[in-house]
Amino acid sequence: MSEAILETKGLAAGYGKKRAVFGVDLSLAKGEKLLILGHNGAGKTTLLRAIFGLIEPMAGSVMLEGRDITGRTPAANVADGVAFVPQGHGIFKSLTVRDNLELGAFAENDKGKLPERLETVHDLFPILKERASQVAGTFSGGQQQMLAIGMALMHGPRVLILDEPSIGLAPNLVERVMEAIATINEKLGASILMVEQNVQLSLPLADRVMVIKTGVTVYEGSPEPLRDHVELMKLF
Amino acid sequence: MDLLLQLFVNGVINGSHYALLGIGFGLIFATTRIVHFAYGPIFTFAAYIAWWLSGAMGLPIWLGLLGAVAAAVTIGLLSYLALYRPLELNRAPPLVPLIASLGLYIVLENLTGVIFGSGVRVVDVDYGIFFVGPVFFTSIHVWQVGSFVILGLGLAAFLRYSRYGKAILAMTDDPDMARVIGIDTFRITLLVFAIGSLVSAVPATLILVKNGASTHMGFAAVFMGFVAVIVGGVGSLRGAAAGGFVVGLVESLGLWKIPTEWQASIAFIVLYLVIMLKPEGLFSMARR
Repeated sequence: MSEAILETKGLAAGYGKKRAVFGVDLSLAKGEKLLILGHNGAGKTTLLRAIFGLIEPMAGSVMLEGRDITGRTPAANVADGVAFVPQGHGIFKSLTVRDNLELGAFAENDKGKLPERLETVHDLFPILKERASQVAGTFSGGQQQMLAIGMALMHGPRVLILDEPSIGLAPNLVERVMEAIATINEKLGASILMVEQNVQLSLPLADRVMVIKTGVTVYEGSPEPLRDHVELMKLF
Repeated sequence: MDLLLQLFVNGVINGSHYALLGIGFGLIFATTRIVHFAYGPIFTFAAYIAWWLSGAMGLPIWLGLLGAVAAAVTIGLLSYLALYRPLELNRAPPLVPLIASLGLYIVLENLTGVIFGSGVRVVDVDYGIFFVGPVFFTSIHVWQVGSFVILGLGLAAFLRYSRYGKAILAMTDDPDMARVIGIDTFRITLLVFAIGSLVSAVPATLILVKNGASTHMGFAAVFMGFVAVIVGGVGSLRGAAAGGFVVGLVESLGLWKIPTEWQASIAFIVLYLVIMLKPEGLFSMARR
């Protein structure tokens, strides 16, 4: 693996005075797929939101390609090639699929790039082309997740951060979404930072795994040792 | 029959006024979730500025309108920056901005009285009177309906086709998600406070020309805007406009059988019935 594209050092974050993440060191290499596992309430979502600037970190730093981006606004991060797919289908439910995808590229100044990106998204998820005029809230959970990922791609991200993309989806749809994420990584070259609870279906995708428990990293390394203990991992 | 026709036309005229207030108040409410009651005294202040420019200084009424727009936008932006924004940054619960808004309401209303005096202020503008068959109306009425059509269509086109309009729709749908895709929600909030306040200055100036301005007239304005939004359905500007017309028409047509002293209560009754029978609003789209 080459040098880190995204790094955190001693990152701590939470809501109000309550900390949920305690000094997490994380390093995502260029082109890597890093999977963060952990049980409910382990601080995974808080960690991602602090990295992306949706909440102000309480301590520590976030670096993008060696530059300090700690506490920078999401707008600045999006413009700099970091995209975030929040938990629970990050879409605008009252707007059409077309409007959603267009809004995905809101912060893009070079509108000339958009037709090509739209084509990429349509190739990846043909349903988004077929149902462009449909109101997104009428989509099924799986389709909404595809749209959410499609929106994140409209900005041509170098780093794609996903918060539990499998949540609420049937297993066959989870596989479909995981395949798409692998394709985004291979074909579009985006580095992937993904949080998951579905160990079984997300583990095959990962180059490397971090396990977080109550806001602290308890395992970091190859997914191999965990593969034999998927059942055990469910206890997390 | 002639009476009913006249009442219908009156309903459309008043409905246009309420619809504009509903759009302005509703745009701010839907996008920012702030119940901006101070919208009322901003409406009043705008009317007084129009009076000061064209009534006291003798400038043409369109200059009065421009002054009213400038004043409303300035106070609208300041009320967000000086009052709601600090509360937001301190993560105050939703009840706090609501109470703060009522406080601002009182301060602004009293300030208007201190600056301009508390009497009714009128401007002397020539206007035409028309009879179409049995129906009577004036050129001010035409302007009331016309301003709704122009501002309503203009705003609809802005929301539908412009980049910032779409950002407003996105923030109305889901503010957190709007930030995720890189929308600067602070700027969008300033934008909706500016547009919403701008919209209030137009009916304010027209009411000044029609009835004169008084320091307490902001209550009826913000209340009718609020009723229009609740009746039409929160989050939909089309709903707020339609809600304004429903209230205007029911209020006016109600006079056919209900004594005039009850007219002011009709909006309350409409609001009550909608909250009881269709709390999501008459024209809300099925969402979520």
